[in-house]
Amino acid sequence: MTVNYATAAIDKTSVMRGLVSIQRVPLGSEVYNRLLETLYDEAAALDERRFDDWVAYLEQDLVYTAPLRLTRNGPNKDRDVVRTMKHFDENYASILMRTGRLSKSAWAEDPPSRTRRFVTNVRIAQCDTAGEYEVVSYLYVERSRFDNPDNESITAERRDVWRRVDGAYKLAVREIIVDQSTLGMSNFAIFL
Amino acid sequence: MLHKAGLTLSDGTTLDDLINRDMNEVSLRVMNDKELYELEMERVFAGTWLLLGHESEIPKAGDYVMRDMAEDNVIVSRARDGEVHVMLNVCPHRGMKVCTAEAGNAAAHRCIYHGWAFRSDGSFIGAPIEKEQMHGNRHSKDELGLKKARVHLYGGLIFATWSKDLSFEDYLGDAKFYLDQLFCRTDNGLEMLGPPQRFVLPCNWKIPGEQSGSDGFHTLTLHRSLMEGGIMGGTAESIYDTAPGMYGVDISVPQGHTLRCLEAAQTFKMFADISFEGKTTEERLNLLTPPGVTKDMIPQLFKNLSEAQVNQLATIPPQVGGMFPNILIAFIFAPRMDGGASGALSLHTYVPKGPDKVEFINFIFAEKDAPEDVKRDMLQNAIWSTGTSGTIEQDDADTWPQIMRNSRGHMSKTMTLKYQALHGHERPEGWVGGGDLYPGFTKDDTQWAWWSAYYDLMAEA
Repeated sequence: MTVNYATAAIDKTSVMRGLVSIQRVPLGSEVYNRLLETLYDEAAALDERRFDDWVAYLEQDLVYTAPLRLTRNGPNKDRDVVRTMKHFDENYASILMRTGRLSKSAWAEDPPSRTRRFVTNVRIAQCDTAGEYEVVSYLYVERSRFDNPDNESITAERRDVWRRVDGAYKLAVREIIVDQSTLGMSNFAIFL
Repeated sequence: MLHKAGLTLSDGTTLDDLINRDMNEVSLRVMNDKELYELEMERVFAGTWLLLGHESEIPKAGDYVMRDMAEDNVIVSRARDGEVHVMLNVCPHRGMKVCTAEAGNAAAHRCIYHGWAFRSDGSFIGAPIEKEQMHGNRHSKDELGLKKARVHLYGGLIFATWSKDLSFEDYLGDAKFYLDQLFCRTDNGLEMLGPPQRFVLPCNWKIPGEQSGSDGFHTLTLHRSLMEGGIMGGTAESIYDTAPGMYGVDISVPQGHTLRCLEAAQTFKMFADISFEGKTTEERLNLLTPPGVTKDMIPQLFKNLSEAQVNQLATIPPQVGGMFPNILIAFIFAPRMDGGASGALSLHTYVPKGPDKVEFINFIFAEKDAPEDVKRDMLQNAIWSTGTSGTIEQDDADTWPQIMRNSRGHMSKTMTLKYQALHGHERPEGWVGGGDLYPGFTKDDTQWAWWSAYYDLMAEA
């Protein structure tokens, strides 16, 4: 397949956001509650820098990406998610490379940031594959660096696929749709 | 030494006080001075050529991207005649942005405020209610177009300048011989793999700027994780003994462009243990193809470059460097986690957004003729190592703002940056290209050349 990389080109896939499946998992149901709990636990693992615990949530066929946002107008005004270019383009091996680095000389996180991940607006639907759930959430991260009194922050929508494996849920797909086209955060040395 | 007296700040400080050319020291104050910043906008950023993008971003008539020449917002567009135009995104009527999107396609740009409209070459079409002549009667329509910058395409890279007389050839100088090997080596050239990553750092543009003058030495310490990950060969324990990737030939030209050329044989050792001894240029290129170039494309290198250029590319290729004032070049070899040799092609611009803010723009490329799977790998390699989340440049982005905070202190700003580990000029035997050459361990010479170019532009009255 030939990809049109031109920045100015209209990308038909660039409109996709939010929940796709219509087989909704209702708020308060057992599956919803367990997945919500998993999202909270995952956020805590990252905030507390327990990267081994975090990696345990990841499936080996993981696809973890963060497309670019681009300000557009007129007929293309909602086609603002650009998937030809990304901030993250990860698989399981590259995530292990990143977490491995964080345990050694990664000055971007040594001394570490203090982070607080707020996960809200969780919507869940069943995927076509049994045991897989589409989980869309809003993410708000506050990041305190050194003794700087001004935090850096980022907001995003996360479109996940979580898979039920041995009685627990594991992350198979995550797309992080950040809201800024020009990021106000100095780097993504943290996971979203 | 010639002392130009072209710059004196309001407290009496001269350029020679800030940049001590006898001692090769620069006052930390230069990183945090509003007055100096205003002068840089005029003498550096309005006086030289600036990189804005690549023509592959805007292939069709009417395609445009919005970019910045320092703090001046511009539209980069391809007009009906196929030419690329760069014009100030400021309506000559009341100063509104004529274009409000970062990219798109438009036959005309109509200002949303009062409706003045402009063609994709910047020329004025007219204001609404033509019979009332709402553009007035003092200027003809010819005079009311968007303000245009001069444009030059080099290897498809879009450069623009407000300077009336600086030719692109004079801007490039002897760096052309080396840069051709990166930007002009294949039949269809480079392709940008999507819009650039953009993020803002709380520091002056010159903090990443002077580093782009080929600071190789910081790699050993700041980017220690490269050695720990085995990416540069060697181990973390032996970093300072073996100093991987530190020996080669550094180059600078008086215009402030710099490059670090590293022996292909050394780079190749990171991937396999085969000697380069006695191998022809073609055999070497086949063993270690330049990043992003496939073996099928090797004949194109011989076609597009001179024999001397291809020979250098096969022996001691330029890999990292910078173009003055604010471009970083990273055309690097990188092993992939799934095996094999590959690479990343990225260019950055460090765009000033005030004395204490810089926008980091990361343009990621592949060779246009490369197959899609290679382009995919190139994109991933560049994202893994450079820009927003890149494991190399995360550490840079965290370091620069701390230098900035230091530049605010009453005493701290009297400290100086020191460029005193100098090799001096030395032309290796048989070297063909021009410029000032510094063979051996990478030292401060190229970064000092960057400051010399800065001095020359700032001293111009």
